This record gives sequence, structure tokens and C-alpha cells, in this order.
Amino acid sequence: MTPVSYVPPNVLPPLLQKFAPLLKRKWFRALVLAPPTLTGRRFSNKTEDYGVFKPSRIARIAQVSIFVQDIARARQWYETLGGLRHSRTGEEEPHPFKEGWRIRCCYMSAAEHEECLVLVEERDPEGKVTVPSGMSFFHTAFELQGNRLEDVLAFAAQAKQAGFAPNYGPVRHNGEPPLGDGETGGNVACYFYDPDYNNVEFCAAMDTIENYRARYGDAKGSSRA
Amino acid sequence: MNTHVGNAPIAAAKLQHHVIYVSDLKRSKDFYTRLFDLQFSALNHPDSSAAMRLANMEMHFFSFGFYHHDICLVKHHKLQMDNGSMLHFSLIARDSAAFAAIRQRAKELGVATRDGRLIASAKAPPGGRAFCLQDPDHHWIEILEEAGQ
Repeated sequence: MTPVSYVPPNVLPPLLQKFAPLLKRKWFRALVLAPPTLTGRRFSNKTEDYGVFKPSRIARIAQVSIFVQDIARARQWYETLGGLRHSRTGEEEPHPFKEGWRIRCCYMSAAEHEECLVLVEERDPEGKVTVPSGMSFFHTAFELQGNRLEDVLAFAAQAKQAGFAPNYGPVRHNGEPPLGDGETGGNVACYFYDPDYNNVEFCAAMDTIENYRARYGDAKGSSRA
Repeated sequence: MNTHVGNAPIAAAKLQHHVIYVSDLKRSKDFYTRLFDLQFSALNHPDSSAAMRLANMEMHFFSFGFYHHDICLVKHHKLQMDNGSMLHFSLIARDSAAFAAIRQRAKELGVATRDGRLIASAKAPPGGRAFCLQDPDHHWIEILEEAGQ
């Protein structure tokens, strides 16, 4: 079945993708934020807000399953760009919660994370495959081997050499030049659309409670605002 | 720290975080923090973040307790979210007590649960248990217990 050409409404138009690197310039961010600054609505949202000292009931994220129109096409993309490994592809099976619908699942593994991604072809009772809407998740993110800033830059270079263009990045989600885009988390990241316009981040070096403590001790972000 | 050896191409090491669209940030924030004890770690608001202002979005960051963020909730102020691009996501409970506590909390919150893994072809957690539930926007979430926790 030939995949339907559909661009979800949240996909960054090519022109905006070209301008997105300007977010790494402080003057550009100041310009964008001029209205809330001038009206006094602007506030700090920076990484300093982080100060999480209590563990949650969750240890980690285990798996994400996303809709694709064509498992073979999507699998090749994740293998070629992300270096994911094909674990197995099942036969069609009943949909877990839609009567009469069916799904087929392709399980992909990362270097240190077994079957972390499931590529799902979903079919209605007439056999028509779901065209992913792009509006259930903004992005899903993989940590890269090495987990350093340099690894993301090397990954971006290797992606470019292989013919993949990011929709954003590489950037660092903090305010530090030259890569900082003024956002939060400290992770160095680049983002790509898969063939179904699912947005995928490849990142490293995210802030942790350990490097937060090294900087600020036990002071919570709210107490330093 | 994960590893990368020699001059081999750099590949993804692991799934690290996931950012989902929600329709009501306050409602979803209440749900995720009450059910999982997720810790609110940052806010990117259109009045404070240039990227969010350009994208017409607001993002709330939540941590499992180590990384700055593991789950983020994002509201698009111009577009409607739906359930048309994701089937589910799975979370591993910190230990058996946390697994039981999440189930108990779901019951107290009136959130329906369903035993077992969501996808029939998914591997059973080795020696562990699983159940599923839906968040206020009908995103399916699977809770897994690992053996030996």
C-alpha cells in the first residue's frame, strides 16, 4: 500500500526551519519576547527551576509505540539514522482497544534498551491503514551513545553526511552560547521528522540532579527565584 | 554513563524522554503528579520562552528524580491534540511497592485499570506484572514491574 502524503499541522514549515537557528542568538530571543517583557508578563523559566530531590514512583520510560503507515519505510529510517536494531516484527493482531481493528507491530531496540520503540501499522475494519496525525506527542527522545555534547555534534554531522536534515538543532537547551537556545534541561539535541512526521529527538548531556546539586547544593529552584 | 566505542557511527543508546500533547495542562499535571509522584521541574511558557512563543505552545517538564525531565506535557494553543499518532507508552515502576502504590492510587482516583500488557505481542515483563490505564486525554499508559526490584 502506497503511503498517503500528509503533513501534520504542527510540522515546522521549511522557511521556519531555516530561521530556527536564530533562537541561539540572545538578541533574537529578546526580540521574540519583547511583548511580554514590555508588558511585565515575562518571568524566569530557566533550568534553575529544577530542584527535584524526591524520587517518583517511576524509574524510567520503557517503551513508546507510534503509528506509521509503512513499517518497512519507518524501520529503515530508524535503523539508518538512529542506529536502532530490528528486534522482531509480528503478524497482524487484534487492536488492543478498537473492536474490529488490527495492528502489526515492529519492535526496535536501541544499543542499551531492548524493544524501546514499537512501530505500529493500525488498520481499520476495511484494512485501511491509519495516517499518523502528528498530534498525540510533540516528540520522543533518544539519548545517544557517549552522552556528551560532542556526541550530538558528531551524530548531527554523520546524519548530514547520510542525507538527513534536522528540523531543529543541534542546540543546547540552556542559555549558554554558542549553542544555547534559552530553553530548559541542558540537553544538547537535534530533531528530525521520521517518514510519517513523527518528531524524534537525539540528545545527550541532560542536566541531572547530580550536576544540579554540584551547582546549587540543596537549594530548590523556587527558593532561588 | 552509556558507552560509545571507537569510530563506529553514533547510535541511540536508549529511550530517554517523551513529550505528549495534552488538552488541559492543569488537569494533566494533577493526574501525573498524583498518580506517579512525578516532580515538576520546569515550565516553558510563551511569555518566557522564545521557542514556545513562536510555536504557540506551553510545556511543563517532569522528572522521575534524576534527569531534568523524563515526561513533558505540552499544550498547543492553536491546534487540537488527538490520539492519532501514538498507541501507548510504558513506564517502569521504581519497585514493587511503587507498582502497587500506583495501582492503589489509580483506584482512589477512580481511574480504570486493565491487567497485563496493552499490546498482545509485547514481551511479558520477566517475572513482573503489568497493567494499563488512560490519562485524561485518553493516552494509554502501561505500568511495568521488573523482576527483582
